Amino acid sequence: MSVELNNEFGHIDISNDVIAQIAGGAAIECYGIVGMASKHQIRDGLTDILRKENFAKGVLIRQAGEDLHIDMYIVVSYGTKISEIAYQVQSKVKYTVNKTLGMSVKSVNIFVQGVRVANV
Amino acid sequence: MKSLDGIKFAEMVQMGAHHLYQNAGYVDSLNVFPVPDGDTGTNMNLSMTSGADETELHAGAHIGKTAQALSKGLLMGARGNSGVILSQLFRGFGKAIEKNSEIDAKGLANAFQAGVDTAYKAVMKPVEGTILTVAREAAAKGVEVAETEDNLIAVMEAFIEEARASLNRTPDLLPVLKEVGVVDSGGQGLLFVYEGFLASMKGEPLPAKNESSLDDLINAEHHRVQDFMDTSAIEFGYCTEIMVRFEAEKEPFDEEQFRQELNPMGDSLLVISDDEVAKVHIHSETPGAVLEAGQKYGSLIKIKVDNMREQHSAIVNEAPKTPAKVKQQKVPFAIVTIAMGEGVANLLRSIGASYVIEGGQTMNPSTEDIVKAVQEIGAERVLILPNNKNIIMAAEQAAELLEIEAAVVPTKTIPQGMAAILAFNPEESVANNKNYMTEGFAHVKTGQVTFAVRDTSIDGVEIRKDDYMALAEGKIILSTTEMMDAAKQVLDNLMDEDSEIVTIIFGEDATAEQAEQLQSFIEENYEDAEVELVDGKQSLYPFILSVE
Repeated sequence: MSVELNNEFGHIDISNDVIAQIAGGAAIECYGIVGMASKHQIRDGLTDILRKENFAKGVLIRQAGEDLHIDMYIVVSYGTKISEIAYQVQSKVKYTVNKTLGMSVKSVNIFVQGVRVANV
Repeated sequence: MKSLDGIKFAEMVQMGAHHLYQNAGYVDSLNVFPVPDGDTGTNMNLSMTSGADETELHAGAHIGKTAQALSKGLLMGARGNSGVILSQLFRGFGKAIEKNSEIDAKGLANAFQAGVDTAYKAVMKPVEGTILTVAREAAAKGVEVAETEDNLIAVMEAFIEEARASLNRTPDLLPVLKEVGVVDSGGQGLLFVYEGFLASMKGEPLPAKNESSLDDLINAEHHRVQDFMDTSAIEFGYCTEIMVRFEAEKEPFDEEQFRQELNPMGDSLLVISDDEVAKVHIHSETPGAVLEAGQKYGSLIKIKVDNMREQHSAIVNEAPKTPAKVKQQKVPFAIVTIAMGEGVANLLRSIGASYVIEGGQTMNPSTEDIVKAVQEIGAERVLILPNNKNIIMAAEQAAELLEIEAAVVPTKTIPQGMAAILAFNPEESVANNKNYMTEGFAHVKTGQVTFAVRDTSIDGVEIRKDDYMALAEGKIILSTTEMMDAAKQVLDNLMDEDSEIVTIIFGEDATAEQAEQLQSFIEENYEDAEVELVDGKQSLYPFILSVE
């Protein structure tokens, strides 16, 4: 499971885990996001927030030709405007992946898996 | 001012929103983080406007309820990262005072602090050097001042002063800001809101509108395009900036129309104008057309055109099309000299030659070579030391051709050149230096040992091919099959009781041991003389000897 890039010198293979790390890392820097969640909360029994090493469970990478599609499962902070947070994550992830991997991201799909109430 | 009620607070919110609205364009121009899309000001303005509208609808004397209205309006209208954070700051602010009909200085400070706490709770990895930092540091200052100060205005002033200082520190915390040369856009937006609050409290007019400086806009624009480009992908290669001063007899200027006109010529177009001048920045493939377009309205008072492909390939470290020359530092007064052999060249450089042309007996540099070398170091004045009688002519011609002050010090040998360089005084004129340096090498005697290339007879000395010839001051004194013999003979010829310093420069056909043998020979026979050995690596001359 990896993404391939070809250039005149040969080819570059970037594993999905790497992309997941980069996308997840970009996402959790966004304001209003509390963490990454597992895609299969029930199956994985992870009702909790994913640790950095497990980002891949909450980030799905699909490649179609030259295009990259990313699905992200996130947990947001209560009392924020969720649609806006999701939009911020999309734009930040798209920008970061493009900047660090030089790949254009066709779509970033956000699945909000939970809301965290901060004890205000 | 000792207390604040809902009515007054609603006025403050209106003023804050208006001040932000006024400066939204400026905030946009600073936006490079988290994604450089230049919309921070727009987003914050939309969010704040939504908050202000809601506040106006529900404004009452009860400050708690008024603040709740602001909080709700902000939440509903939150746009962008900065907008969301703004909404969180005032959500916490509103929550802290929801039961209060009015607040005092401590109450205000604590409400700001509560807002910061709430805002920080909604983020996993707070990035410092952003709006969060500005809000946090300002709030902490406010709380500190409110301990002893009960005047709301004084607390607000201290609060804003800290916010401003914090904003100016953002580039130290967030590298991308420093790189682009801007402060954080969200933090700047927040400061505008706070400034509006204070102006309203004091009943003063708003501070002047910040004009987006073209420089900020250009910085952000360049940052945006540079990230993703490889050099070959640059479609519009010239970063073109012009400033046009309008003239009455030319066409009347209309910014929008001008923009339309320039639009097809490239991208990254920025136009700023007032009644007198227009400033333009555009990336274009036809900078000439841009200049002409500007000239229709007046005279061009500033023009700058940079080739971005060249710059970019330098930035991304691709192999540039031409081998990059190491840019020498500009020397006001240079010495250009000629040497053969790496060791000799290094020696000359070490004692003060700015540039050494590798030449020598069989590879004499041409006039053109000398001119090029001088031009390359970009000196204002130059002295040329040929160190070889066969190069003196070429050097003289080069001095004629050069458009800077130049003179030739007619050195015929390396030792003469060394002595001349040591007599150089950069404080003096070219003419004076030429005199000093010529005097400086006059007392230097040069000996050389070289090979004969054919049978011949010079100055009455019979010479056979492959013999070693000994030359003293350019005159042949003997020819022998023994190299060391030739060298010792030369030294004997040159040395007298006044000789103090002997320099032995041994070439690639002599060994260090042989040079040391010569050294011993001198020390035995001339005990007053000091000997210096130099590994000159020169070809053709196993030994070059200088005696002073």
